[in-house]
Amino acid sequence: MRTGRLSTTSYGYLFIAPFIIGFLLFGLYPVYNTLALSLTNTTMMTREAHFIGLENFKRLFADDFFMKAVTNSWLIWLLNFIPQIGIALLLSAWFMNIRLKIRAVGMWRTLFFLPNLLMPAAVAALFFSLFSYYGPANQLMVTAGLQSEAIHYLQKIATTRGLLVFIQWWTWFGWTTIIIMAGMTAIPIHLFEAAMVDGASAGQMFTQITLPLLKPILIFVFVTSLVGGMTMFDIPFLLTDGRGSPASSIMTNNILMYLKFSSSKGHIAFASSVGVLVFIMTTVCALGIFYFLRDREGKATAVPETAPASPPGKGRQPA
Amino acid sequence: MISRYRLGTYSMRVIVYGVLILLLVITIIPIWLLIVNATRSTTEIQQGVSALPSTHLLENFRILESKGINMGRGFANSLFVAVASTVVAVYFGFLTAYGIVIYDFKGRNLFMSFVILLVLIPMQFSIVGFFQYMSRLGLTDNYASLILPLVASAGAVFFAKQYLESVVVRELIDAARIDGASELGIFHRVMMPLAIPGAATLGIFAFVAAWNNFFNAFILISSLEKYTLPMLVQTLRGDVYRTEYGAIYLGLAITVVPIIVMYVFFARYIISGIAMGAMKE
Repeated sequence: MRTGRLSTTSYGYLFIAPFIIGFLLFGLYPVYNTLALSLTNTTMMTREAHFIGLENFKRLFADDFFMKAVTNSWLIWLLNFIPQIGIALLLSAWFMNIRLKIRAVGMWRTLFFLPNLLMPAAVAALFFSLFSYYGPANQLMVTAGLQSEAIHYLQKIATTRGLLVFIQWWTWFGWTTIIIMAGMTAIPIHLFEAAMVDGASAGQMFTQITLPLLKPILIFVFVTSLVGGMTMFDIPFLLTDGRGSPASSIMTNNILMYLKFSSSKGHIAFASSVGVLVFIMTTVCALGIFYFLRDREGKATAVPETAPASPPGKGRQPA
Repeated sequence: MISRYRLGTYSMRVIVYGVLILLLVITIIPIWLLIVNATRSTTEIQQGVSALPSTHLLENFRILESKGINMGRGFANSLFVAVASTVVAVYFGFLTAYGIVIYDFKGRNLFMSFVILLVLIPMQFSIVGFFQYMSRLGLTDNYASLILPLVASAGAVFFAKQYLESVVVRELIDAARIDGASELGIFHRVMMPLAIPGAATLGIFAFVAAWNNFFNAFILISSLEKYTLPMLVQTLRGDVYRTEYGAIYLGLAITVVPIIVMYVFFARYIISGIAMGAMKE
Protein backbone atom coordinates (compact mmCIF):
# COMPACT_ATOMS: atom_id res chain seq x y z
CA MET A 1 0.00 0.00 0.00
CA ARG A 2 1.26 3.41 -0.94
CA THR A 3 1.89 5.80 1.87
CA GLY A 4 0.08 9.12 2.03
CA ARG A 5 -2.88 7.52 0.35
CA LEU A 6 -6.03 9.55 0.79
CA SER A 7 -8.78 7.95 2.78
CA THR A 8 -11.77 7.16 0.60
CA THR A 9 -13.93 9.75 2.31
CA SER A 10 -11.74 12.64 1.21
CA TYR A 11 -12.10 11.45 -2.38
CA GLY A 12 -15.52 13.04 -2.17
CA TYR A 13 -13.87 16.44 -2.21
CA LEU A 14 -11.80 15.50 -5.24
CA PHE A 15 -14.88 14.47 -7.15
CA ILE A 16 -16.80 17.65 -6.40
CA ALA A 17 -13.75 19.89 -6.85
CA PRO A 18 -14.26 20.57 -10.59
CA PHE A 19 -17.82 21.66 -9.89
CA ILE A 20 -16.73 23.97 -7.09
CA ILE A 21 -13.92 25.48 -9.14
CA GLY A 22 -16.23 25.86 -12.14
CA PHE A 23 -18.84 27.46 -9.94
CA LEU A 24 -16.40 29.90 -8.34
CA LEU A 25 -15.00 30.93 -11.74
CA PHE A 26 -18.11 30.99 -13.88
CA GLY A 27 -20.95 31.31 -11.38
CA LEU A 28 -19.96 33.18 -8.26
CA TYR A 29 -17.37 35.58 -9.63
CA PRO A 30 -19.75 36.90 -12.33
CA VAL A 31 -22.32 37.50 -9.58
CA TYR A 32 -19.76 39.46 -7.59
CA ASN A 33 -18.66 41.26 -10.74
CA THR A 34 -22.24 42.20 -11.60
CA LEU A 35 -22.77 43.55 -8.09
CA ALA A 36 -19.52 45.50 -8.20
CA LEU A 37 -20.31 46.88 -11.66
CA SER A 38 -23.74 48.03 -10.57
CA LEU A 39 -22.10 50.40 -8.08
CA THR A 40 -19.94 52.10 -10.73
CA ASN A 41 -20.45 54.14 -13.86
CA THR A 42 -18.62 51.75 -16.21
CA THR A 43 -19.45 51.86 -19.90
CA MET A 44 -17.97 49.93 -22.79
CA MET A 45 -16.43 53.16 -24.08
CA THR A 46 -14.40 54.26 -21.07
CA ARG A 47 -11.47 52.46 -19.50
CA GLU A 48 -11.87 53.90 -16.03
CA ALA A 49 -14.79 53.27 -13.80
CA HIS A 50 -15.76 55.26 -10.77
CA PHE A 51 -17.56 54.08 -7.71
CA ILE A 52 -20.84 55.95 -7.58
CA GLY A 53 -22.64 54.07 -4.82
CA LEU A 54 -26.36 53.51 -5.32
CA GLU A 55 -26.67 56.15 -8.02
CA ASN A 56 -27.66 53.60 -10.71
CA PHE A 57 -30.41 52.19 -8.53
CA LYS A 58 -31.77 55.68 -7.78
CA ARG A 59 -31.86 56.42 -11.48
CA LEU A 60 -33.60 53.12 -12.20
CA PHE A 61 -36.38 53.80 -9.75
CA ALA A 62 -36.81 57.27 -11.19
CA ASP A 63 -37.03 55.71 -14.65
CA ASP A 64 -40.54 54.83 -15.82
CA PHE A 65 -39.13 52.12 -18.05
CA PHE A 66 -37.88 50.03 -15.15
CA MET A 67 -41.25 50.00 -13.42
CA LYS A 68 -42.85 49.25 -16.75
CA ALA A 69 -40.54 46.28 -17.35
CA VAL A 70 -41.21 44.89 -13.87
CA THR A 71 -44.98 45.37 -14.23
CA ASN A 72 -44.95 43.73 -17.66
CA SER A 73 -42.94 40.76 -16.45
CA TRP A 74 -45.31 40.16 -13.54
CA LEU A 75 -48.42 40.66 -15.62
CA ILE A 76 -47.30 38.34 -18.39
CA TRP A 77 -46.09 35.72 -15.92
CA LEU A 78 -49.28 35.70 -13.82
CA LEU A 79 -51.62 35.74 -16.81
CA ASN A 80 -49.92 32.63 -18.19
CA PHE A 81 -49.08 30.84 -14.95
CA ILE A 82 -52.62 30.73 -13.57
CA PRO A 83 -54.15 28.99 -16.61
CA GLN A 84 -50.98 26.90 -16.93
CA ILE A 85 -51.19 25.41 -13.44
CA GLY A 86 -54.99 25.22 -13.69
CA ILE A 87 -54.93 23.18 -16.91
CA ALA A 88 -52.06 21.06 -15.60
CA LEU A 89 -53.96 20.19 -12.41
CA LEU A 90 -57.11 19.44 -14.38
CA LEU A 91 -55.32 17.25 -16.93
CA SER A 92 -53.40 15.42 -14.21
CA ALA A 93 -56.58 14.75 -12.26
CA TRP A 94 -58.26 13.41 -15.39
CA PHE A 95 -55.31 11.30 -16.45
CA MET A 96 -54.99 9.76 -13.00
CA ASN A 97 -58.71 9.17 -12.55
CA ILE A 98 -59.34 5.44 -12.29
CA ARG A 99 -63.02 5.75 -13.11
CA LEU A 100 -62.55 7.78 -16.29
CA LYS A 101 -59.91 5.39 -17.71
CA ILE A 102 -58.52 7.88 -20.23
CA ARG A 103 -56.77 6.03 -23.05
CA ALA A 104 -53.25 6.68 -24.32
CA VAL A 105 -52.32 8.98 -21.43
CA GLY A 106 -48.67 8.69 -22.42
CA MET A 107 -49.42 9.84 -25.96
CA TRP A 108 -51.37 12.92 -24.84
CA ARG A 109 -48.63 13.96 -22.45
CA THR A 110 -45.97 13.40 -25.08
CA LEU A 111 -47.75 15.57 -27.63
CA PHE A 112 -48.63 18.35 -25.17
CA PHE A 113 -44.98 18.58 -24.14
CA LEU A 114 -43.62 18.99 -27.66
CA PRO A 115 -43.74 22.83 -27.88
CA ASN A 116 -41.46 22.98 -24.83
CA LEU A 117 -38.56 21.56 -26.81
CA LEU A 118 -38.76 23.94 -29.73
CA MET A 119 -36.24 26.75 -30.01
CA PRO A 120 -37.84 29.83 -28.38
CA ALA A 121 -36.20 32.07 -30.96
CA ALA A 122 -37.85 30.07 -33.74
CA VAL A 123 -41.16 29.96 -31.88
CA ALA A 124 -41.15 33.75 -31.59
CA ALA A 125 -40.30 34.18 -35.27
CA LEU A 126 -42.97 31.62 -36.16
CA PHE A 127 -45.71 33.44 -34.27
CA PHE A 128 -44.45 36.73 -35.71
CA SER A 129 -45.08 35.25 -39.17
CA LEU A 130 -48.35 33.56 -38.27
CA PHE A 131 -49.79 36.77 -36.81
CA SER A 132 -48.43 39.22 -39.33
CA TYR A 133 -50.87 41.28 -41.39
CA TYR A 134 -50.86 38.88 -44.33
CA GLY A 135 -50.29 35.83 -42.15
CA PRO A 136 -52.34 32.66 -41.68
CA ALA A 137 -54.07 33.88 -38.51
CA ASN A 138 -55.70 36.76 -40.38
CA GLN A 139 -56.45 34.56 -43.38
CA LEU A 140 -58.18 31.95 -41.21
CA MET A 141 -60.14 34.44 -39.13
CA VAL A 142 -61.39 36.37 -42.15
CA THR A 143 -62.31 33.21 -44.08
CA ALA A 144 -64.17 31.87 -41.07
CA GLY A 145 -66.03 35.17 -40.78
CA LEU A 146 -64.75 35.83 -37.26
CA GLN A 147 -63.13 39.08 -38.38
CA SER A 148 -64.45 41.42 -41.04
CA GLU A 149 -60.92 42.40 -42.09
CA ALA A 150 -57.27 41.70 -41.33
CA ILE A 151 -55.89 43.10 -38.07
CA HIS A 152 -52.39 44.36 -37.24
CA TYR A 153 -52.18 42.02 -34.24
CA LEU A 154 -48.63 42.93 -33.35
CA GLN A 155 -49.28 46.65 -33.35
CA LYS A 156 -51.97 46.51 -30.69
CA ILE A 157 -51.10 46.29 -27.01
CA ALA A 158 -53.84 43.85 -26.01
CA THR A 159 -53.32 41.37 -28.84
CA THR A 160 -49.52 41.45 -28.58
CA ARG A 161 -49.57 40.82 -24.83
CA GLY A 162 -52.28 38.22 -25.28
CA LEU A 163 -50.23 36.44 -27.91
CA LEU A 164 -47.13 36.45 -25.69
CA VAL A 165 -49.13 35.07 -22.77
CA PHE A 166 -50.55 32.40 -25.06
CA ILE A 167 -47.10 31.40 -26.37
CA GLN A 168 -45.74 31.07 -22.83
CA TRP A 169 -48.72 28.97 -21.83
CA TRP A 170 -48.45 26.89 -25.00
CA THR A 171 -44.78 26.23 -24.27
CA TRP A 172 -45.11 25.27 -20.63
CA PHE A 173 -48.45 23.63 -19.81
CA GLY A 174 -47.21 20.21 -20.96
CA TRP A 175 -44.13 20.41 -18.76
CA THR A 176 -46.18 21.40 -15.72
CA THR A 177 -48.63 18.56 -16.40
CA ILE A 178 -45.80 15.99 -16.42
CA ILE A 179 -44.38 17.32 -13.15
CA ILE A 180 -47.74 17.38 -11.40
CA MET A 181 -48.64 13.90 -12.63
CA ALA A 182 -45.35 12.59 -11.28
CA GLY A 183 -46.19 14.19 -7.95
CA MET A 184 -49.63 12.59 -7.93
CA THR A 185 -48.20 9.16 -8.76
CA ALA A 186 -46.08 9.39 -5.63
CA ILE A 187 -49.13 9.76 -3.38
CA PRO A 188 -49.85 6.38 -1.73
CA ILE A 189 -53.01 4.88 -3.21
CA HIS A 190 -54.24 3.62 0.17
CA LEU A 191 -54.96 7.19 1.24
CA PHE A 192 -57.54 7.47 -1.52
CA GLU A 193 -58.93 4.03 -0.73
CA ALA A 194 -59.36 4.99 2.91
CA ALA A 195 -61.06 8.23 1.90
CA MET A 196 -63.36 6.34 -0.45
CA VAL A 197 -64.37 3.96 2.34
CA ASP A 198 -65.16 7.01 4.46
CA GLY A 199 -67.41 8.23 1.66
CA ALA A 200 -65.37 11.20 0.47
CA SER A 201 -66.30 12.79 -2.85
CA ALA A 202 -63.80 13.23 -5.69
CA GLY A 203 -63.63 16.96 -4.93
CA GLN A 204 -62.96 16.33 -1.23
CA MET A 205 -60.21 13.86 -2.06
CA PHE A 206 -58.61 16.40 -4.36
CA THR A 207 -58.61 19.26 -1.86
CA GLN A 208 -57.95 17.17 1.29
CA ILE A 209 -55.41 14.63 0.01
CA THR A 210 -54.01 15.48 -3.40
CA LEU A 211 -53.36 19.21 -2.99
CA PRO A 212 -51.70 19.08 0.46
CA LEU A 213 -49.42 16.21 -0.57
CA LEU A 214 -48.54 17.97 -3.80
CA LYS A 215 -47.26 21.00 -1.91
CA PRO A 216 -43.53 20.39 -2.42
CA ILE A 217 -44.10 19.85 -6.14
CA LEU A 218 -46.29 22.94 -6.37
CA ILE A 219 -43.62 25.02 -4.62
CA PHE A 220 -41.09 23.76 -7.13
CA VAL A 221 -43.35 24.60 -10.09
CA PHE A 222 -44.13 28.04 -8.62
CA VAL A 223 -40.54 28.99 -7.93
CA THR A 224 -39.01 27.75 -11.20
CA SER A 225 -41.82 29.33 -13.17
CA LEU A 226 -41.44 32.61 -11.30
CA VAL A 227 -37.71 32.72 -11.97
CA GLY A 228 -38.37 31.90 -15.62
CA GLY A 229 -41.04 34.59 -15.84
CA MET A 230 -38.77 37.24 -14.35
CA THR A 231 -35.96 36.33 -16.78
CA MET A 232 -38.16 35.92 -19.86
CA PHE A 233 -36.28 37.14 -22.90
CA ASP A 234 -36.21 35.25 -26.20
CA ILE A 235 -39.89 35.29 -27.07
CA PRO A 236 -40.86 38.87 -26.11
CA PHE A 237 -37.57 40.11 -27.60
CA LEU A 238 -38.14 38.47 -30.97
CA LEU A 239 -41.93 38.70 -31.16
CA THR A 240 -41.93 42.34 -32.26
CA ASP A 241 -38.98 44.67 -32.77
CA GLY A 242 -36.61 43.77 -29.94
CA ARG A 243 -37.70 46.73 -27.85
CA GLY A 244 -40.93 45.33 -26.48
CA SER A 245 -43.21 47.21 -28.86
CA PRO A 246 -46.01 48.21 -29.18
CA ALA A 247 -45.69 50.96 -26.56
CA SER A 248 -43.29 48.88 -24.44
CA SER A 249 -46.16 46.53 -23.68
CA ILE A 250 -44.00 43.40 -23.79
CA MET A 251 -40.73 44.94 -22.63
CA THR A 252 -39.59 42.60 -19.84
CA ASN A 253 -36.83 42.89 -17.22
CA ASN A 254 -34.27 41.14 -19.37
CA ILE A 255 -35.14 43.14 -22.47
CA LEU A 256 -34.57 46.33 -20.48
CA MET A 257 -31.27 44.93 -19.24
CA TYR A 258 -30.28 44.10 -22.79
CA LEU A 259 -31.31 47.54 -24.08
CA LYS A 260 -29.11 49.25 -21.46
CA PHE A 261 -26.30 46.81 -22.22
CA SER A 262 -26.44 47.34 -25.98
CA SER A 263 -27.18 51.08 -25.94
CA SER A 264 -24.85 53.27 -27.96
CA LYS A 265 -22.68 53.92 -24.91
CA GLY A 266 -22.83 50.30 -23.72
CA HIS A 267 -23.79 51.33 -20.23
CA ILE A 268 -22.98 47.98 -18.63
CA ALA A 269 -22.97 49.32 -15.06
CA PHE A 270 -26.55 50.45 -15.46
CA ALA A 271 -27.48 47.13 -17.08
CA SER A 272 -25.92 45.29 -14.11
CA SER A 273 -28.09 47.23 -11.70
CA VAL A 274 -31.18 45.98 -13.56
CA GLY A 275 -29.91 42.41 -13.11
CA VAL A 276 -29.22 42.98 -9.41
CA LEU A 277 -32.64 44.48 -8.70
CA VAL A 278 -34.49 41.76 -10.58
CA PHE A 279 -32.44 39.13 -8.75
CA ILE A 280 -33.34 40.64 -5.36
CA MET A 281 -37.00 40.91 -6.30
CA THR A 282 -37.16 37.33 -7.60
CA THR A 283 -35.34 35.86 -4.61
CA VAL A 284 -37.55 37.66 -2.09
CA CYS A 285 -40.66 36.43 -3.89
CA ALA A 286 -39.33 32.87 -4.16
CA LEU A 287 -38.63 32.86 -0.41
CA GLY A 288 -42.12 34.24 0.12
CA ILE A 289 -43.57 31.30 -1.80
CA PHE A 290 -41.57 28.86 0.36
CA TYR A 291 -42.77 30.62 3.50
CA PHE A 292 -46.46 30.77 2.65
CA LEU A 293 -46.69 27.24 1.29
CA ARG A 294 -44.59 25.58 3.98
CA ASP A 295 -46.06 22.87 6.16
CA ARG A 296 -47.95 24.61 8.93
CA GLU A 297 -47.27 21.80 11.43
CA GLY A 298 -43.91 23.38 12.08
CA LYS A 299 -42.09 20.84 9.96
CA ALA A 300 -40.16 22.56 7.21
CA THR A 301 -41.30 21.48 3.78
CA ALA A 302 -38.65 19.19 2.49
CA VAL A 303 -38.30 20.66 -0.95
CA PRO A 304 -34.76 19.39 -1.40
CA GLU A 305 -35.85 15.79 -0.92
CA THR A 306 -38.90 15.94 -3.11
CA ALA A 307 -38.23 18.56 -5.74
CA PRO A 308 -38.51 17.05 -9.18
CA ALA A 309 -35.57 17.14 -11.51
CA SER A 310 -35.94 20.09 -13.79
CA PRO A 311 -34.82 19.60 -17.35
CA PRO A 312 -31.21 19.53 -16.28
CA GLY A 313 -28.83 22.11 -17.53
CA LYS A 314 -31.70 23.98 -18.96
CA GLY A 315 -31.88 26.80 -16.47
CA ARG A 316 -35.57 26.61 -16.91
CA GLN A 317 -37.02 29.63 -18.60
CA PRO A 318 -40.71 29.12 -18.26
CA ALA A 319 -43.08 31.80 -17.35
CA MET B 1 -78.37 4.07 -9.66
CA ILE B 2 -75.66 2.10 -11.41
CA SER B 3 -76.83 3.20 -14.85
CA ARG B 4 -76.87 6.86 -13.77
CA TYR B 5 -73.34 6.45 -12.48
CA ARG B 6 -72.35 4.94 -15.83
CA LEU B 7 -74.05 7.72 -17.75
CA GLY B 8 -72.22 10.30 -15.65
CA THR B 9 -68.87 8.64 -16.33
CA TYR B 10 -69.68 8.36 -20.00
CA SER B 11 -70.64 12.02 -20.50
CA MET B 12 -67.62 13.08 -18.43
CA ARG B 13 -65.45 11.02 -20.72
CA VAL B 14 -66.90 12.77 -23.77
CA ILE B 15 -66.08 16.16 -22.25
CA VAL B 16 -62.55 15.08 -21.32
CA TYR B 17 -61.74 13.75 -24.78
CA GLY B 18 -63.22 16.90 -26.31
CA VAL B 19 -60.90 19.08 -24.22
CA LEU B 20 -57.91 16.83 -24.97
CA ILE B 21 -58.52 17.01 -28.71
CA LEU B 22 -58.95 20.78 -28.54
CA LEU B 23 -55.65 21.13 -26.64
CA LEU B 24 -53.97 18.83 -29.13
CA VAL B 25 -55.14 20.94 -32.07
CA ILE B 26 -53.89 24.11 -30.35
CA THR B 27 -50.55 22.43 -29.63
CA ILE B 28 -49.97 21.05 -33.09
CA ILE B 29 -51.38 23.71 -35.46
CA PRO B 30 -48.52 26.24 -35.22
CA ILE B 31 -45.91 23.50 -35.67
CA TRP B 32 -47.79 21.94 -38.55
CA LEU B 33 -48.21 25.29 -40.31
CA LEU B 34 -44.49 25.89 -39.90
CA ILE B 35 -43.56 22.61 -41.57
CA VAL B 36 -46.18 22.87 -44.31
CA ASN B 37 -45.32 26.48 -45.16
CA ALA B 38 -41.64 25.57 -45.44
CA THR B 39 -42.60 23.53 -48.52
CA ARG B 40 -44.89 26.13 -50.09
CA SER B 41 -44.00 29.03 -52.35
CA THR B 42 -44.44 32.59 -51.14
CA THR B 43 -47.34 33.05 -53.58
CA GLU B 44 -49.11 29.98 -52.22
CA ILE B 45 -48.62 31.18 -48.65
CA GLN B 46 -50.09 34.58 -49.53
CA GLN B 47 -53.09 32.95 -51.19
CA GLY B 48 -54.25 31.21 -48.05
CA VAL B 49 -53.75 28.58 -45.39
CA SER B 50 -53.24 24.98 -46.39
CA ALA B 51 -52.96 21.86 -44.29
CA LEU B 52 -51.06 19.96 -46.97
CA PRO B 53 -47.44 20.35 -48.02
CA SER B 54 -46.53 21.62 -51.46
CA THR B 55 -43.49 21.08 -53.68
CA HIS B 56 -41.34 24.19 -53.27
CA LEU B 57 -38.95 22.96 -50.59
CA LEU B 58 -35.84 23.10 -52.78
CA GLU B 59 -36.82 26.43 -54.27
CA ASN B 60 -37.20 27.90 -50.78
CA PHE B 61 -33.83 26.49 -49.85
CA ARG B 62 -32.22 28.19 -52.85
CA ILE B 63 -33.82 31.52 -51.94
CA LEU B 64 -32.56 31.11 -48.38
CA GLU B 65 -29.01 30.47 -49.61
CA SER B 66 -29.08 33.30 -52.14
CA LYS B 67 -29.67 35.84 -49.37
CA GLY B 68 -26.21 35.27 -47.95
CA ILE B 69 -27.24 33.69 -44.66
CA ASN B 70 -25.43 30.40 -44.35
CA MET B 71 -27.84 28.05 -42.60
CA GLY B 72 -25.45 25.13 -43.14
CA ARG B 73 -22.68 26.82 -41.21
CA GLY B 74 -25.14 27.91 -38.52
CA PHE B 75 -26.24 24.31 -38.25
CA ALA B 76 -22.64 23.10 -37.90
CA ASN B 77 -21.90 25.80 -35.30
CA SER B 78 -24.99 24.87 -33.29
CA LEU B 79 -24.14 21.21 -33.51
CA PHE B 80 -20.60 21.81 -32.25
CA VAL B 81 -21.69 23.98 -29.33
CA ALA B 82 -24.53 21.62 -28.41
CA VAL B 83 -22.40 18.46 -28.53
CA ALA B 84 -19.53 20.02 -26.56
CA SER B 85 -21.97 21.45 -23.98
CA THR B 86 -23.64 18.06 -23.65
CA VAL B 87 -20.37 16.22 -23.08
CA VAL B 88 -19.20 18.73 -20.49
CA ALA B 89 -22.53 18.92 -18.64
CA VAL B 90 -23.03 15.14 -18.55
CA TYR B 91 -19.48 14.22 -17.59
CA PHE B 92 -19.07 16.77 -14.82
CA GLY B 93 -22.67 16.34 -13.70
CA PHE B 94 -22.10 12.64 -13.09
CA LEU B 95 -18.62 13.17 -11.66
CA THR B 96 -19.97 15.58 -9.04
CA ALA B 97 -23.02 13.45 -8.33
CA TYR B 98 -20.84 10.35 -7.91
CA GLY B 99 -18.80 12.20 -5.31
CA ILE B 100 -21.97 13.10 -3.42
CA VAL B 101 -23.59 9.66 -3.62
CA ILE B 102 -20.58 7.42 -2.92
CA TYR B 103 -18.41 9.28 -0.44
CA ASP B 104 -19.40 10.38 3.00
CA PHE B 105 -17.62 13.65 3.54
CA LYS B 106 -18.17 16.60 5.83
CA GLY B 107 -20.44 19.23 4.32
CA ARG B 108 -21.99 16.77 1.91
CA ASN B 109 -25.59 17.63 2.75
CA LEU B 110 -24.81 21.32 2.82
CA PHE B 111 -23.28 21.03 -0.63
CA MET B 112 -26.32 19.21 -1.96
CA SER B 113 -28.71 21.84 -0.58
CA PHE B 114 -26.55 24.47 -2.21
CA VAL B 115 -26.77 22.72 -5.58
CA ILE B 116 -30.57 22.64 -5.27
CA LEU B 117 -30.57 26.36 -4.53
CA LEU B 118 -28.56 26.87 -7.72
CA VAL B 119 -31.08 24.78 -9.67
CA LEU B 120 -33.91 26.96 -8.45
CA ILE B 121 -32.16 30.29 -8.94
CA PRO B 122 -30.10 30.31 -12.12
CA MET B 123 -27.35 32.81 -12.78
CA GLN B 124 -29.06 34.63 -15.63
CA PHE B 125 -29.20 37.81 -13.62
CA SER B 126 -25.43 38.13 -13.68
CA ILE B 127 -24.97 37.88 -17.43
CA VAL B 128 -23.61 41.44 -17.68
CA GLY B 129 -20.92 40.77 -15.10
CA PHE B 130 -20.19 37.49 -16.85
CA PHE B 131 -19.83 39.26 -20.19
CA GLN B 132 -17.42 41.89 -18.85
CA TYR B 133 -15.37 39.20 -17.11
CA MET B 134 -15.21 37.10 -20.29
CA SER B 135 -14.16 40.10 -22.34
CA ARG B 136 -11.32 40.76 -19.87
CA LEU B 137 -10.24 37.13 -20.31
CA GLY B 138 -10.53 37.52 -24.08
CA LEU B 139 -13.19 34.81 -24.21
CA THR B 140 -15.99 36.80 -25.80
CA ASP B 141 -16.84 35.73 -29.32
CA ASN B 142 -15.48 32.35 -28.27
CA TYR B 143 -17.53 29.20 -27.76
CA ALA B 144 -15.56 28.49 -24.58
CA SER B 145 -17.62 31.16 -22.83
CA LEU B 146 -20.75 29.17 -23.67
CA ILE B 147 -19.37 25.73 -22.80
CA LEU B 148 -17.08 26.14 -19.77
CA PRO B 149 -19.77 27.33 -17.32
CA LEU B 150 -21.45 23.93 -17.76
CA VAL B 151 -18.72 22.35 -15.64
CA ALA B 152 -20.87 23.62 -12.78
CA SER B 153 -24.32 22.80 -14.10
CA ALA B 154 -26.49 22.41 -11.01
CA GLY B 155 -29.39 20.88 -12.92
CA ALA B 156 -27.12 18.18 -14.32
CA VAL B 157 -25.75 17.34 -10.86
CA PHE B 158 -29.22 17.15 -9.39
CA PHE B 159 -30.46 14.85 -12.11
CA ALA B 160 -27.34 12.65 -12.01
CA LYS B 161 -27.60 12.33 -8.22
CA GLN B 162 -31.23 11.22 -8.41
CA TYR B 163 -30.27 8.71 -11.06
CA LEU B 164 -27.14 7.32 -9.42
CA GLU B 165 -28.96 6.74 -6.15
CA SER B 166 -31.25 4.33 -7.96
CA VAL B 167 -28.58 2.40 -9.88
CA VAL B 168 -25.50 2.41 -7.67
CA VAL B 169 -24.30 -1.05 -6.60
CA ARG B 170 -21.88 -0.60 -3.73
CA GLU B 171 -20.70 -4.21 -3.83
CA LEU B 172 -19.48 -3.65 -7.37
CA ILE B 173 -17.45 -0.63 -6.28
CA ASP B 174 -15.94 -2.55 -3.37
CA ALA B 175 -15.08 -5.43 -5.69
CA ALA B 176 -13.34 -3.04 -8.08
CA ARG B 177 -11.39 -1.54 -5.15
CA ILE B 178 -10.22 -4.98 -4.07
CA ASP B 179 -9.09 -5.58 -7.65
CA GLY B 180 -6.94 -2.49 -7.28
CA ALA B 181 -8.85 -0.02 -9.43
CA SER B 182 -8.33 3.66 -8.66
CA GLU B 183 -11.30 5.71 -7.46
CA LEU B 184 -11.46 7.67 -10.70
CA GLY B 185 -11.02 4.43 -12.63
CA ILE B 186 -14.00 2.96 -10.81
CA PHE B 187 -16.05 5.98 -11.82
CA HIS B 188 -15.00 5.67 -15.47
CA ARG B 189 -15.04 1.93 -15.91
CA VAL B 190 -17.64 0.68 -13.45
CA MET B 191 -20.05 3.51 -12.75
CA MET B 192 -20.36 5.27 -16.10
CA PRO B 193 -21.25 2.12 -18.07
CA LEU B 194 -23.98 1.41 -15.50
CA ALA B 195 -25.22 4.97 -15.77
CA ILE B 196 -25.48 5.10 -19.56
CA PRO B 197 -29.31 5.23 -19.71
CA GLY B 198 -29.37 8.12 -17.24
CA ALA B 199 -26.48 9.84 -18.98
CA ALA B 200 -28.39 9.56 -22.26
CA THR B 201 -31.50 11.17 -20.77
CA LEU B 202 -29.44 13.95 -19.22
CA GLY B 203 -27.58 14.31 -22.51
CA ILE B 204 -30.80 14.86 -24.44
CA PHE B 205 -31.80 17.65 -22.06
CA ALA B 206 -28.38 19.25 -22.17
CA PHE B 207 -28.34 19.03 -25.95
CA VAL B 208 -31.76 20.62 -26.39
CA ALA B 209 -30.91 23.37 -23.91
CA ALA B 210 -27.67 24.21 -25.71
CA TRP B 211 -29.27 23.93 -29.15
CA ASN B 212 -32.04 26.36 -28.17
CA ASN B 213 -29.88 28.77 -26.17
CA PHE B 214 -30.28 32.28 -27.53
CA PHE B 215 -29.68 34.82 -24.76
CA ASN B 216 -26.12 33.85 -23.79
CA ALA B 217 -24.98 33.28 -27.37
CA PHE B 218 -26.57 36.55 -28.43
CA ILE B 219 -24.65 38.48 -25.77
CA LEU B 220 -21.33 36.65 -26.01
CA ILE B 221 -20.90 35.83 -29.70
CA SER B 222 -20.50 38.67 -32.16
CA SER B 223 -18.99 37.53 -35.46
CA LEU B 224 -21.42 36.38 -38.13
CA GLU B 225 -19.48 33.24 -39.03
CA LYS B 226 -19.81 32.04 -35.43
CA TYR B 227 -23.57 32.61 -35.25
CA THR B 228 -25.55 29.64 -34.02
CA LEU B 229 -29.00 28.80 -35.39
CA PRO B 230 -31.06 30.83 -32.90
CA MET B 231 -29.05 33.90 -33.84
CA LEU B 232 -29.57 33.25 -37.54
CA VAL B 233 -33.28 32.86 -36.91
CA GLN B 234 -33.24 36.36 -35.52
CA THR B 235 -31.71 37.71 -38.74
CA LEU B 236 -34.38 35.88 -40.77
CA ARG B 237 -36.89 38.44 -39.65
CA GLY B 238 -34.91 41.28 -41.18
CA ASP B 239 -35.74 43.30 -44.27
CA VAL B 240 -33.90 41.02 -46.66
CA TYR B 241 -36.55 38.38 -46.11
CA ARG B 242 -39.57 40.63 -45.87
CA THR B 243 -41.27 39.11 -48.90
CA GLU B 244 -39.82 35.60 -48.85
CA TYR B 245 -42.27 33.88 -46.53
CA GLY B 246 -41.50 30.39 -47.82
CA ALA B 247 -37.80 30.84 -47.14
CA ILE B 248 -38.45 32.23 -43.64
CA TYR B 249 -40.59 29.23 -42.71
CA LEU B 250 -37.95 26.89 -44.12
CA GLY B 251 -35.23 28.60 -42.08
CA LEU B 252 -37.32 28.12 -38.93
CA ALA B 253 -38.07 24.52 -39.87
CA ILE B 254 -34.36 23.76 -40.21
CA THR B 255 -33.85 24.76 -36.57
CA VAL B 256 -36.90 23.00 -35.21
CA VAL B 257 -37.30 19.76 -37.18
CA PRO B 258 -34.11 18.03 -35.92
CA ILE B 259 -35.38 18.41 -32.35
CA ILE B 260 -38.83 17.09 -33.32
CA VAL B 261 -37.22 14.06 -35.01
CA MET B 262 -35.10 13.45 -31.93
CA TYR B 263 -38.20 13.74 -29.78
CA VAL B 264 -40.01 11.10 -31.83
CA PHE B 265 -37.27 8.62 -30.93
CA PHE B 266 -36.56 9.65 -27.34
CA ALA B 267 -39.90 10.96 -26.04
CA ARG B 268 -40.14 8.14 -23.51
CA TYR B 269 -36.77 8.99 -21.93
CA ILE B 270 -37.51 12.69 -21.92
CA ILE B 271 -40.89 12.37 -20.22
CA SER B 272 -39.66 9.87 -17.64
CA GLY B 273 -36.54 12.00 -17.14
CA ILE B 274 -38.63 15.02 -16.19
CA ALA B 275 -40.87 12.94 -13.96
CA MET B 276 -38.03 10.98 -12.36
CA GLY B 277 -37.03 13.28 -9.57
CA ALA B 278 -40.62 13.91 -8.65
CA MET B 279 -40.86 10.55 -6.88
CA LYS B 280 -39.92 10.69 -3.25
CA GLU B 281 -36.52 9.25 -2.67
